[in-house]
Amino acid sequence: MLILSACSAEELKAALRLGRFRLHVGHLRLKISSIVPEFVCVLQQLYAAHPVMLDGGDFDFEIAISPPTPWRHWLRRNAIFEFCGDAPFEPMEVGHAFAMFEWGLNWAIASYLHNYLILHSAVVEFEGNGVLLSAVSGSGKSTLSAELSLQGWRLLSDELALIDDNLQLFPLARPISLKNSSIDLIRTRFPSARLGPLAKDTHKGTVAHLMAPDASVESNAVPAIPKFIIFPKWTAGAPLRVEAVGSGQAAMRLIDQAFNYSILGHKGFERLVALVRQAEAWEIEYSSLDEAREAIESLVRERG
Amino acid sequence: MFSEARQAGVLSRLGSTLCQSHATEKYLPERLREHVSAAAIQVDAFQRDVHRELAYIQSALSGLQTPVLLLKGASYVLLELPAATGRIFSDIDILVSKPHVGSAEANLMLGGWSTGKLDPYDQRYYREWSHEIPPMTHLRRGTTVDLHHSLAMPTCRIRIDSERMVKEAFPVDTNGFWWRLKDEDMLLHAASHLMLNSEFDRGLRDLWDIDLLFRHFQSSSNSFVEKLIDRSDQIGLTKIIRQALFLANHFFQTPVPEKLISNQDGFFLNLMICASSTRHPETRSGWLAISCALLTYREMYLRLPNRLLALHLAHKASELFKRTEEKKQV
Repeated sequence: MLILSACSAEELKAALRLGRFRLHVGHLRLKISSIVPEFVCVLQQLYAAHPVMLDGGDFDFEIAISPPTPWRHWLRRNAIFEFCGDAPFEPMEVGHAFAMFEWGLNWAIASYLHNYLILHSAVVEFEGNGVLLSAVSGSGKSTLSAELSLQGWRLLSDELALIDDNLQLFPLARPISLKNSSIDLIRTRFPSARLGPLAKDTHKGTVAHLMAPDASVESNAVPAIPKFIIFPKWTAGAPLRVEAVGSGQAAMRLIDQAFNYSILGHKGFERLVALVRQAEAWEIEYSSLDEAREAIESLVRERG
Repeated sequence: MFSEARQAGVLSRLGSTLCQSHATEKYLPERLREHVSAAAIQVDAFQRDVHRELAYIQSALSGLQTPVLLLKGASYVLLELPAATGRIFSDIDILVSKPHVGSAEANLMLGGWSTGKLDPYDQRYYREWSHEIPPMTHLRRGTTVDLHHSLAMPTCRIRIDSERMVKEAFPVDTNGFWWRLKDEDMLLHAASHLMLNSEFDRGLRDLWDIDLLFRHFQSSSNSFVEKLIDRSDQIGLTKIIRQALFLANHFFQTPVPEKLISNQDGFFLNLMICASSTRHPETRSGWLAISCALLTYREMYLRLPNRLLALHLAHKASELFKRTEEKKQV
């Protein structure tokens, strides 16, 4: 299959302009159109290892990153996220276009893929064990999944857990969204980490995206089996604390972080119950990424 | 087509229809089948929510000593009409007679619905001129109820005898709480809503409703067409129902008898065809924006008599001006 990095900039630009570009993310095929050079440039950089098609074909979602009006392509430049021709969000400045694409794609998945129970959770895999990292925004979920994936874990997603009715986790390895101080933290710890440009002053502060590991992108068609649910909590200066969480409580906490639990009705409940029965839940409070990673790795090695 | 359908708000209905005709396995590629089943899951959830919401509204209004009519989408769901298939809508429309609006509103407020903050102009627009009070949104669930006291704007230039439709409404089941319009009136109301409102982005779905209602009522009563013609003459919707059925026939081949199809006002109907078609960027007509603008002016003209129209436009223009000034200052 054709890989994005094997396409020339001209081929890519033409396919994106003519609506023939398809990007494979996991089992999803996205039709993406754009004439916004800032977006095209970052897309080419951060999705370099992803399979693509340049000659059309069927697709799951249709996304365009476009100037909101023709003159906005030249003056007071702005970009808008279009989904099936609709613009569900406000325009943003062109420097934020890639971040907007990532947020928009998360929104589309969470709003429409109801064949899956969708939880707001990072998903990683270590030695065949699927691990959900579930936490509210700002508790270090993305940073921790960046750390783990840069240390050789497989990344499935930094944001969305897709669980089908056979209790499999569907991979969507794509760039990890790092915010504010975690950008420098990751850059210092991993000087060779492949980061995209900074988008400053977004509604989430400064955002930069970290490329997903090539190996994770390559296994993007292989689902994982959930074995652990971790509720990570980063607290400055806190000593490491690892505590088991009962399955009932784990289920309640996952419901709080679910996007479509209520839409799935009783099936959502059954799937969630099966999940917490199969996967043990732990809460980890930490201040050092090294300690957190070692603690999770030993949990998985001892009990997986 | 799926992309267009999603954009026009009819993917769930398209999906449900394909499922009912067992066409999904035969004709759809695997990738699209997933979206059909995802849309079906969403519709199931939506219909559960509608029933639950109706129960909440019923308990809030149970003390009211007057019939409460259920209109449009929610009534299709309650009556299990084909028009409820895969239909997703954002608010529940109910109607009580004008003297009871005050107590109905108060009861809904006690149940947790509120009109929120409105500027004095909008408040006056609804309270003095409109056929409904401002939309009431539930503080916790975020669901919306539109409380009507009439089926059409009282200020409308086309005289519609909506009192008559309301008067002949009847209970959905004999000891039940909810009331409904007669079959003919349900279709007439859908038609007048389509032709006199500027919600053209939902035009295709509304036309599909009209198609499904017509087919259903016609198949369940031999004399439906005659009743519909008589009724539309009584109510004052003769022209409107013909235009609506012309459009439904244009898009959905609704089996409408020749005598019920309008072919007058070709220019207006062409504008409607243009505005109701899908608006996907790759397929939409270049005339879409102009059609919508012209139809919006027409709708405002029909809704408001000259004096009010002048006031309304002056107010909206001054608001626009104020907003631009504020933006400049920012």
